[in-house]
Amino acid sequence: CDKVLDVTPKGNYTTATYWRTQSDAVNGITGIYNILLEEDFTGHAEFTFDICSDDEYRAGDHSEDVAIENFTYDASNAQVRFSWRWKYEMINRSNNALIYIPKIEKMDEDIRNRSLGEAHFLRAFAYWRLMLIYGEVPVVTEDDVLASSYNHPKVSADSLRGMIQTDLLAAADLLPDTYGANDKGRVTKGTAWGFLCKLYMNWEKLDQALIYGEKVTTSPNYKLASTYLENFTPATSNNDEMLFAVQTSDTWGYSDFTTYHTPREWGGWNFHQPLQTLVDEFEAGDARKAVSVMGPGDKVDIGTEIATYSASMSETGYHFRKFSSWKSNGGLNYSLKTPLLRTADIMLLVAEAKIRTQGAGAGDAEINQVRKRAGLAEVSGAGMPALMHERRCELSGENERHQDLIRWDKAKLIDITTYYNKPKYGKNGNILVAARTFVRPKHYYFPLPQSEIDKSNGVLIQNENY
Amino acid sequence: STMEGQNIREVKINLNASHQKLEEVLGKIQQLTPFRFVYNSSQVKAIPPVSINVTNTSVETILQQLLTPNHFSFEQNKAQVIITRTQDLTFATLNRAIPTMVEWADTSITAQGKVRDDKGQPLPGVTITIKGKNRGVAADASGNFAIRADEKDSLIFKAIGFAPLTVSAGGNLGNIALSPSTTSLSDVVIVGYGSQTRRDLTGTITTVKGADIRNLPVSDAAQAIQGRVAGVDIVRSDGSPGTTPSIRIRGTGTINNSEPLIIIDGVPASSLSDINNNDIASMEVLKDASSSAIYGTRAANGVIIITTKKGSYNEKLNTSVNIYRGVSNVRRYIPLLTAPELVTLKQERYTNDGLSVPAIWQDPYYAVQRTDWQKALFNTGNVTNADISIRGGSAFSNYLFSVGYYDEKGMITNTYFKRYTVRINSEHRLNKRLKVGENLQLTARKRNALDTYSSQTGLIFSALRFNPAIPVKDETGAYGSAQASNELGDINNPVYTAETTDAWVKSYRVLANAFAELEIVRDLKFRVNYAFDGTLSNSYTFLPKTLTQVRTRDDAELTQGDTTSNSQLAEAFLTFNKTLAQKHQITLTGGVSYQKYTGSYFAAKRNGFDDESPDMLVLDNGSLVIDAAGNYHATNVLASSFVRGFYSFKGKYLLTATMRADGSSRFAEGHRWGYFPAVSAGWRVSDENFFKENVHFMSNLKVTGGWGVLGNQNVSEFQYLAAVAKNRRYNFGDLPVTGTWNASIANPNITWEKAHMTNISMEMGFLQSALNATVTYFNKNTIDMLVPAVQMDTHGTSVVPDQNIGRLNNHGVELELSYQGGKKDFTYFVAANATMIRNKVTKLYAKDTYISSSNYGRQNQEISRTYEGQPIASFYGWKTAGLYQTQSEIDNDAYLANDSRRANIKPGDVRFVDVNGDGAITEADRVNLGDPNPRLQYGIQMSGNYKGFDLSLAFTGVAGVKLYNADKMQGLDPTYSYNYYKEEMNRWHGEGTSNSIPRMTLTDNNGNYRTSDRFIEKGDYFALRNVALGYTIPAKLWGNAGGPGIRVYVAGQNMFILTNYSGLNPELGYTDGNRQRGVDVATYPQARSITVGASLNF
Repeated sequence: CDKVLDVTPKGNYTTATYWRTQSDAVNGITGIYNILLEEDFTGHAEFTFDICSDDEYRAGDHSEDVAIENFTYDASNAQVRFSWRWKYEMINRSNNALIYIPKIEKMDEDIRNRSLGEAHFLRAFAYWRLMLIYGEVPVVTEDDVLASSYNHPKVSADSLRGMIQTDLLAAADLLPDTYGANDKGRVTKGTAWGFLCKLYMNWEKLDQALIYGEKVTTSPNYKLASTYLENFTPATSNNDEMLFAVQTSDTWGYSDFTTYHTPREWGGWNFHQPLQTLVDEFEAGDARKAVSVMGPGDKVDIGTEIATYSASMSETGYHFRKFSSWKSNGGLNYSLKTPLLRTADIMLLVAEAKIRTQGAGAGDAEINQVRKRAGLAEVSGAGMPALMHERRCELSGENERHQDLIRWDKAKLIDITTYYNKPKYGKNGNILVAARTFVRPKHYYFPLPQSEIDKSNGVLIQNENY
Repeated sequence: STMEGQNIREVKINLNASHQKLEEVLGKIQQLTPFRFVYNSSQVKAIPPVSINVTNTSVETILQQLLTPNHFSFEQNKAQVIITRTQDLTFATLNRAIPTMVEWADTSITAQGKVRDDKGQPLPGVTITIKGKNRGVAADASGNFAIRADEKDSLIFKAIGFAPLTVSAGGNLGNIALSPSTTSLSDVVIVGYGSQTRRDLTGTITTVKGADIRNLPVSDAAQAIQGRVAGVDIVRSDGSPGTTPSIRIRGTGTINNSEPLIIIDGVPASSLSDINNNDIASMEVLKDASSSAIYGTRAANGVIIITTKKGSYNEKLNTSVNIYRGVSNVRRYIPLLTAPELVTLKQERYTNDGLSVPAIWQDPYYAVQRTDWQKALFNTGNVTNADISIRGGSAFSNYLFSVGYYDEKGMITNTYFKRYTVRINSEHRLNKRLKVGENLQLTARKRNALDTYSSQTGLIFSALRFNPAIPVKDETGAYGSAQASNELGDINNPVYTAETTDAWVKSYRVLANAFAELEIVRDLKFRVNYAFDGTLSNSYTFLPKTLTQVRTRDDAELTQGDTTSNSQLAEAFLTFNKTLAQKHQITLTGGVSYQKYTGSYFAAKRNGFDDESPDMLVLDNGSLVIDAAGNYHATNVLASSFVRGFYSFKGKYLLTATMRADGSSRFAEGHRWGYFPAVSAGWRVSDENFFKENVHFMSNLKVTGGWGVLGNQNVSEFQYLAAVAKNRRYNFGDLPVTGTWNASIANPNITWEKAHMTNISMEMGFLQSALNATVTYFNKNTIDMLVPAVQMDTHGTSVVPDQNIGRLNNHGVELELSYQGGKKDFTYFVAANATMIRNKVTKLYAKDTYISSSNYGRQNQEISRTYEGQPIASFYGWKTAGLYQTQSEIDNDAYLANDSRRANIKPGDVRFVDVNGDGAITEADRVNLGDPNPRLQYGIQMSGNYKGFDLSLAFTGVAGVKLYNADKMQGLDPTYSYNYYKEEMNRWHGEGTSNSIPRMTLTDNNGNYRTSDRFIEKGDYFALRNVALGYTIPAKLWGNAGGPGIRVYVAGQNMFILTNYSGLNPELGYTDGNRQRGVDVATYPQARSITVGASLNF
């Protein structure tokens, strides 16, 4: 009699019927990358955490962003809440891959290694972003997934760094150096090394940072693109330098990153406007300026016409140019990849590590590689101020500035409060954002989402100072 | 008139007919003479063809020639000639008496007359039987009847929805008036797998007659019974055409799906919106465990049984036509700022923050009022209904055929609901033991699918927020746009969206069943039923290329989809019904049932439509395939067996016991089968001699009580497995690649929810049952309630499975009162009902745990939480105590003594209450702010008749309910770049200027607009839902020949809603399943409408 009640989930896989073949493994890994397109993650929200910086004005019309920019946010802030679960979704999909892929009986071992490497890397990436934003967060392991156990206390930032290190080292072992054309966009050994370099810089382990940074900068596989513009042109943005980028594509499967950055009049939502102070940072003749920002009078190919940018399109008088592209028949071109890590970043971190361990001038070679491409004269005896200037120009808008300032402040290289205790001015000298008060150590991290604290029933403890 | 005086002996005609049907010949005579024949059509049809050829012969002679050889007699009554069979060959007599036709020589009279309803309209189809004799006829379309009877006989008149009437056959039968019955004890009540008289019920079942909801201009029958049944809460979450209301019987019984089981003519049918209201004969609402336990694991939320109209045996062909048309308008608008007012406040917002005012707010263009967006979006809607039904029956078959058309156009452009219905019911007696029949319901419907609902992009949200200086269209004819500046917000012009989007869903549904009933031996019947319920839906969404609005779309986009779903039901059951020694009545019912649900879907999407002309918008004409998706819906199977016993001793002591065993495929082996017992007993106190002798003011008193267990298995399928879905793609090398993810987490132990329910009821009748009252107490405990296992977002985005851990209690009191009064020319009827229910979650994961609900708006604000110890979906947030008026109030406020935010708080900010007394406003100060579940719901219906006029009124109301005005929370929040509510003019702008609306600021550092009691409002309302005034055109206008019955009327819906609530509508539904209720997200308002209509019977 019970037999009539036996029905199968027709058309749907379950964990009992999936993870059997090589293509199951490859598709499972693709599913992890998929999260990078999410608007509430690297599709945009993650970049909101840089509007604190002195490079840009939030613009747009999200009032939760006002609180982020003004350091008046609290634990209920929507932005603080948005990206949390996508990072954990990435961790859970990676955990599933790490549970099941080793059990697949028959598959190409190279593909198996690559897939496991990708899973280790993507899990590390999610924890890395969690650690940067929240400092201390709960950990979900493969065992937790098998036991459906998800309410855990948070662990220290150092424990997180240790876990990220373990995963990145495993990924570096397992991943290949490069890929063929059809696999462009997958992470490589270089990606893992690059993030190891960033992790050790954050951890103040400069020697280690240098080791892994140089693995990238000295490799022919990850050399700088010949021009800065190549990184921000749809056809060439997947180049050797692009260690990690969101593979948004105009055919389908795109993220709204570009929409957020583009002026309204040209099809965008008008967020993230560069400030005059950033524009002024570029030296005369810096080829990166015209690629990075557009200002009044600039001619821009918006696909259907060569249009003229006008100050009325922006509160600051500028927009980022490097994140917008248009199709020839009109509309935004979403095939412009969103950079998450470039060799130029690592190049400058290597320079920084050298300067900070060996003294001014030790990073000249790396700094000059970057400057040369920008069409600028070489520097010599460069110290931290020169390096900071170079990072600011090279990486404008790429979600690095606020984190750089925090890192340098923690290392007592700068006083971050003086950077932030100044108004942000608009194009007419008007005040867009009043001077802000950065409170140490409170504002090094954001609070954990209040909803998660509430649901945890006492397990999850809010960050200190919130 | 002269015609009236004519006699069949005097009127002479020529007539020539050869081998023609008798009926046709009679028709010819009717054409040639003033006479009208009244006869039982099935009897006349049974006569072999006749021939006649006469000239200048009296009608009397002709009739004698035609009728006498065929055993008919005839009599003239004014213009009518009543033809009766000398022996009524009804079914019963045929069965018994063929071929002994010897009795027909008795000397009885022909009892003839006319039956009308309480409104004076001829009542067709009334069965007239002779008491104690197994004979009967049915009244014809004009209510006329004629039956051979003995002068001393009593005639019994019966019709569905009317109280039966017994009249002496020798009396005056010319104007028999039947009164509608609501609580008649001898009424037949439909129960699961059978029927019972109301007198014998031991459970709580309320019946709504089809006549009470006839011609109400609503698309869903549930809406028509709003306020008419105690214990039933019907609420529409929005007023757009075709919206299905939520039905909650005796409170919200679970956090999961708590819609009742709907049974249409014996078939579980899931929805009431595919049926034409005018096809409904009765709706029975089964509320307690004893009545519903026979439906086992689907009965925990109550059961609604719909019985559709049918033909009767021996009923002359009756035709009924209903036509109405009406117009609808918005009941109220939300007062919003005009453009000049908005500019003033926007400027103030920057000045207050010490920021310079952006150019746009100094631009005179934006200080000119151009558009009231609510008025631009809302127009006049209309509704049209036309239906016709034909029914009748012979001695062996009966039938009903009806077609209906319902067309509702909403108040917003391109919002509509259209429905075509066809119903075919018939039943046939194959022999004296076996009858077979079918019910067939065909529905085609089309409904728009515009987004009126979203608080991010919805049309109504957009109309309430869009800048009033922007024109609907500019001088070049282009739609106004907010693209000019971020300061105008990220909303598209709602009129543009409504006029350029083409989105609809069409559905075609067949609900059919075929049955056979065999009387195995006397008193034992066996019935089998096979049913098929299939729906095919097509959806179509065309979104135009949009470059000049804020939310752009690079390419026009078309999505088309097909969904099929069908369910098959097979059941068989036995019914044994016997009365022993005239005092023991026993009814036993037992059977088995099997139902299987399957389905599938397909959808595809293309973009790149160069040509956007409507005729060219098909997938073929798009360039790029964006998406193509298809899969099966999850299959589910229910297998059941059930048994019910009823015993009555002397009609005074009643006992019902029920047991159902249900197996559901939704659960893993070992967790599938549930057993649902119920018992109830009743005592008809008023049948006791001591009562009869001593209590004279009461004509009826019955006390019943019962207890039972019900189940709910209506949760997602396959939760015992962890699903992997293949729909997370990504690009490598700019090529799309398939990606998978773990779409759900498994709970292998999941099983159904159970509800334990106790019911005690007292039924009273006074004044010879003109006044009736029922009082019922119930207590319902839901146990093993399925709640999501994991709440933490650390699980990611997979669907978390439910676990059987929650408990929920609903208890309350229901009152029903009715009074029927008046006499002769003026009769009236008043009914009232009231329900008081308390709802409380008694157990969740652990102390202080809760179930969250969806967040509201751009800032993702949490509004409702379901906590252990509190009513389901209570509001949760901060308490407030006015505004800070001065800096010193802030500096000296004990609430802020230790608050690190104090430096950021300014006069004009909200003073939040430090509930926990720690000197700081934190998340720990949030408390329960109110209960959205009404304490009291009530309804009042009144009707009265005076001569040909009839008036009816239906009121509904709720009291003791809190609403959360989320739209206002956003509509006043100055950090948004939109237009604001008019109330914003009363904002704080200096000491003493306001104690309720905070200062203008761009940086709301104090969280003035966090979820708080500032946006809680009382949701009590009292509404005149329906009013109708009708006039029945007197039959004499048509001569006395029994012309058509015609009633014309004018009716109004939502004529008034008395409330202090400030939003568009105080009736707010559910916005996140049962987890959120009473949150105003500014949805489609309910219209006020006026309809005029006519009903014809002939």
